[in-house]
Amino acid sequence: MSVILMKDGAVVLGGRTIWKNASFRIEPATITAVLGPNGSGKSTLLNLVLGLIALQEGSLEVLGAAPHRGNRRVGYLAQSRAADAMATMTGRDYVGLGFDGPRFGWGRDKSKSDVVRRALVLTGTASFADQPLRILSGGQRQRVALAHATVFKPELLLLDEPLAALDLAAQAEIVDLINLIRDTTGAAIIVVAHDLNPLASIVDHVLWIARRQVRSGTVDQVVTEEVLSDLYGHPIEIIVTSRGRRVIVGLEEEFAHPHPHPHPKGFVHGGEPAHSHLSEVYEEETT
Amino acid sequence: MTLSELLGTSFVQHAFYAVTAVALAAGAVGYFVVLRRQAFAAHAVGHVGFAGAAGAVWLGLSPITGLLVFCLGAGLLIGLGGASLEESDAVVGVTLTAALGLGVLFISLYSGYANATYSILFGQILGVTWGDVGLVASLSLGVLIVVSFTYRPLLFVSVDPQTAAARGLSPRSLSLLFMALLAITTVVAIQIVGVLLVFSLLVAPAAAAEVLTSRPLRAVALAMGFAVSSAWLGLFFGVWVGGPVSFWITAFASLSYLVARVVSRTRVVRGRRVLA
Repeated sequence: MSVILMKDGAVVLGGRTIWKNASFRIEPATITAVLGPNGSGKSTLLNLVLGLIALQEGSLEVLGAAPHRGNRRVGYLAQSRAADAMATMTGRDYVGLGFDGPRFGWGRDKSKSDVVRRALVLTGTASFADQPLRILSGGQRQRVALAHATVFKPELLLLDEPLAALDLAAQAEIVDLINLIRDTTGAAIIVVAHDLNPLASIVDHVLWIARRQVRSGTVDQVVTEEVLSDLYGHPIEIIVTSRGRRVIVGLEEEFAHPHPHPHPKGFVHGGEPAHSHLSEVYEEETT
Repeated sequence: MTLSELLGTSFVQHAFYAVTAVALAAGAVGYFVVLRRQAFAAHAVGHVGFAGAAGAVWLGLSPITGLLVFCLGAGLLIGLGGASLEESDAVVGVTLTAALGLGVLFISLYSGYANATYSILFGQILGVTWGDVGLVASLSLGVLIVVSFTYRPLLFVSVDPQTAAARGLSPRSLSLLFMALLAITTVVAIQIVGVLLVFSLLVAPAAAAEVLTSRPLRAVALAMGFAVSSAWLGLFFGVWVGGPVSFWITAFASLSYLVARVVSRTRVVRGRRVLA
């Protein structure tokens, strides 16, 4: 059974079509990278799977059922967490919130400390779990966040930009950990990312979102000059280095202005290099 | 009267029960105020309460009625109005100003003497009746019951609203609920220390606790402990040495924060030496 099954999905937010005609399936124990320009609707995809928003058209099944909020079988790591308030507590407490944070009432679950300890061991965070998050490095904090997200051994794990704001060494550590979680728990893992390269060694599938379209397939099927040129509507070149790294040429505009808008949520921009932001603003105002 | 005779009088005993109940509630709610960085909101709710109390006095009602109406109203308004932090600051500021303006109006309309206003601003703990104690204690107990029942979800949405929402919690409703708890706690704290010094029970003990520990449950317990001991010491010194009880409570609460900072400082220095 597929973990996620999307058929002809279309999302409309605030009257704007984010993307449409999306069909793909995601199988257990696979890692899928979700790529595309800012505001193209990558996090929107995660919000759909989490049951926070609904499809306008088409159908979506998550673990054989309609997506619903609070599903323990789905783990989630948000892109920006309220670091300030969170940082005053210990890693163990934060992971504990993954276990019983959503539960009201006075009772205590006796299995909590064991379950939390197991998650800490799996993610290699046990040795610093009793330090306040404030004094940990970015990579250590992200490992704790992964322990939080995997505390119930989810069958589906959604990671929104888990490598953002990490140095290269920490990125490599997190990538190894994501792979380890897949191997030990058999979870299907979806990773929203800006750059495929750091993840390339562990990724099985790619969902590339641009210009309101979603392309899915293996890395070799999607990350080709034909598919990406078609997706972006202008020529894209891919140079494969001697070590097998793919350098994608033709997305300079996107990477030169990684955060062109302070409020990218729900704002669709195509990411075409020749396409100036002026015309996008114009489009926004006339619609 | 000797000290022990003073401590045995009914007004000191009423005060003792009232400060204990209020301090426990204020310590617990205060932890979340500090954690959620909502000190400004807490400040505003207290000052809005001043307008409510002044209005009630003008209309010939009991001040606590006006306090409850205005504080709850302001709490819900702030909870509803500010989705983002920046927005919330503006909403709090405007609510605060509008209410203070009303307070000035009510005071000018009220031609009676200013004693009522004075006790709202600075507290009047030694004047509470058994009826007041009953009301204050039951409101505080209610707050404590709700806080303990919602403790984990409240903590979750306070530190990580996005993930909490994905796990099925509603940050918005919990934030509204918390503002209501904050409003009620402010109302009862105003009975003791007054509008101007409400922070002494609501923020200082919790801030001290947060400096000392990274375990949330321990921090809540410490905050409650600091608040209660400041309140008890304040009451005792007020009776023994003289001077306003609210002054003494504020002094001890501030002192607890100062001591906590010094203690954590020396701890960090020692920790660094161990690492080196």
